[in-house]
Amino acid sequence: MSAVLEVHDLVKRFGDGPEMITAVDRVSFDVAPGEVLAIIGPSGCGKSTLFNVIGGLIDQYEGSVVVEGETVSGPHAAIGMVFQEESTFPWRTVEENVAFPLEIAGVAREERMRRAREYVALVGLAGFERHHPAQLSGGMRQRVAIARTLASKPKILLMDEPFAALDEQTRFLLGDKVLQIQQQLAQTTLLVTHNIGEAVQLADRVVVMSYRPGRVKRIVQIALPRPRTSEAAASAEFGRYVAEIWSDLRDEASRGMQDDETHSLRRA
Amino acid sequence: MTEHESPASRFAPAAVGVATIVIVFAIVEAMIRAGWINRFIVPLPSAVLASFGRVIAEENVLHRTLFTGAEALAAGILIAIFGGALGVLLTRKRVLRLATETWVAAIAASPLVLIYPLFLVMFGRNALTIVMIGFAAGLPPVILKTVEGLSGTRRVLIDVGRSFKLTAAQEFWKIRFPAALPTIFVGLRLGIMFALINIVGVEFLINFGGLGQLVNELAERYDLPAMYAAITFVVLVSVAFFLVTERVERWLATR
Amino acid sequence: MAGDALTATPGLRGLVSPVARVRIAIVLVALLAWEGLAASGLVIHDVVPSLVKIASALWKLLSTAPLYANLGATLYEVALSLVIGGVTGAIVGLVLGGNRFLGRAFEPYLHYLGPTPKIIFFPIMIMWFGVGGGSKIAMGALSCFFPVALSTAVGMRQIEPVLVRVGQSFRASTAQMVAKIYLPAMRPAMLTGLRLGLGVAVIGVLLAETKLSNRGLGYLVIQRYTNFDMPGMYAILIVVFLLAIVANALLSRLGGSSSSATTI
Repeated sequence: MSAVLEVHDLVKRFGDGPEMITAVDRVSFDVAPGEVLAIIGPSGCGKSTLFNVIGGLIDQYEGSVVVEGETVSGPHAAIGMVFQEESTFPWRTVEENVAFPLEIAGVAREERMRRAREYVALVGLAGFERHHPAQLSGGMRQRVAIARTLASKPKILLMDEPFAALDEQTRFLLGDKVLQIQQQLAQTTLLVTHNIGEAVQLADRVVVMSYRPGRVKRIVQIALPRPRTSEAAASAEFGRYVAEIWSDLRDEASRGMQDDETHSLRRA
Repeated sequence: MTEHESPASRFAPAAVGVATIVIVFAIVEAMIRAGWINRFIVPLPSAVLASFGRVIAEENVLHRTLFTGAEALAAGILIAIFGGALGVLLTRKRVLRLATETWVAAIAASPLVLIYPLFLVMFGRNALTIVMIGFAAGLPPVILKTVEGLSGTRRVLIDVGRSFKLTAAQEFWKIRFPAALPTIFVGLRLGIMFALINIVGVEFLINFGGLGQLVNELAERYDLPAMYAAITFVVLVSVAFFLVTERVERWLATR
Repeated sequence: MAGDALTATPGLRGLVSPVARVRIAIVLVALLAWEGLAASGLVIHDVVPSLVKIASALWKLLSTAPLYANLGATLYEVALSLVIGGVTGAIVGLVLGGNRFLGRAFEPYLHYLGPTPKIIFFPIMIMWFGVGGGSKIAMGALSCFFPVALSTAVGMRQIEPVLVRVGQSFRASTAQMVAKIYLPAMRPAMLTGLRLGLGVAVIGVLLAETKLSNRGLGYLVIQRYTNFDMPGMYAILIVVFLLAIVANALLSRLGGSSSSATTI
């Protein structure tokens, strides 16, 4: 079965001359259909850059990104993105938000509102269709953003730390919800995160990145049985995977922290 | 990711801006000389430039600038005193604030300067009228900003004061007031800007005073190049004043 | 708790909240002081006319035709100023806000030329547009242009970048980006600009009418002045300010803020 997404030898550099930094250095991986792949790494490992490159929002890089056999240049219809920050349109209602990609694609009003409501219900927000984002909690707003992206029926869903702005408990519950939806739709997913527990909970495989320049340090197969819920976090297996990934990450993370401290000293 | 700018790219926008203006003036000059624009409606930019010297020498421009400046200063002092006092009063007495704040905001948004004929009757055609208009125009923003600053102190700072058992007066002078200073300065800057704008405007309208009156007089004399020069000069003074007040405010905010 | 008591409408004490009581008290005291001053003869005759005279002048003003013809003239001039100044301001603001280079090249001029006394340009406007309504409309448009352009440019730059990325990720066309993302996101800023623009357009038009006109509300004010009809002047000033307050209140319903600190 051919991969939905292939990343070949991706290199992205920023700046030039002595100020140049290599954010991503010859990164390669595949995402199989129906798979959830998590990318984890310390801050500064280039994972957000990866997210933006695959999503087509950054260009001028070396290597290639291939979606369903087509090379990506610019945002691709088969790729759906869910961003880290608050990204719902405050002036639209929940259903209008979710209908947005269908509106862009030119779907007629009645049809797109009907489809939008399906996805609103899918993420568990039935009854809130006419609400505005300001009336919802942060977690609910992220669900709206996820529903909006799902409404465009992407072949692969890209998520960049979608739960970063939420508290721990909401994260677990929302993670459960996302897992449920993913399993229901068999949605191929690429999840960028810095949270090890989240990666283990949601993913089939976890790509561990090194600190700048970002390279693939290791790929860990998560063999926890599906369907999964947040209760899996209680198992010994779970703990082992987390420990394994953390031991890979710890060096990278402390390199990142040291780098930060030197920079702050220099700036002061 | 921030990219480092070369000195060229940092100055390029400013250079383009200046170059555009120069080019526009050159085009206008050419069009007037070619007869496409009536030179009795739009004087030659070169003639305007040439008349600067004449205007400054013959029309007591320095004296006039100082006169207008003095009016602005007087209005500014009045605004600071009354605006500050009323701002403090409204902060202390919550009922008064709730009752009158919207009124002050409404006045700030209204064409207040239109009462200048009334002031003409009350105070006569003299500098007092002009100062009073400046005062009236600049007062509302100072009141509003002073109230905003003093009553908008972060809750946690007030709590710190309460934990040290400060009296109301101590809390006011040691916490609220210093915390409010940046906002109060914004209000003062707005107030003095509004005052100056209205002062120059009224000088023009009633044909009395310093710089505003100069423009009016040159217009009535139909000395076009000089009039354009005077208008340009007033605009430059106004811009300089605004630049200075902006710098002062920024400097004060960082202390 | 105390706060609720101050603003709640019916209290146990009576039908009138403390805030309303204070307002009524202030108004009553002001009116009484005024009348006292008028009656005392301390001030030159008619600079502070009796409230009765003002009321009757107001009645006369409101019940006869001339006010409405002049009101119409001023409204027409203000409306056209808003359209001309507002549309050009919005276009310039969109361009300067959307293009970083152009913004850095030209926006400082708008920023620093904004707070200057525009009325001194009136003689130029008269020469270019004549002594009739044209020069007043030009005056209003010139005044209104700056706050609208600046607010629009600022509004464009303040659009949350992530919202733009959402549109890009869904491959929206430029027209779709403008109509479905930029403009809705900028609505509060543009409304603020419009409110400020209306305020200065009204001032520009009225002042121009006081200087040189034979129509309009500003003209009526000066006419009362030249005739030393003080009650009449107070009457027309009251009408103008009431209209300004109503117009502002209506616009504030649509959204945006009233702080002029956003453009200066």
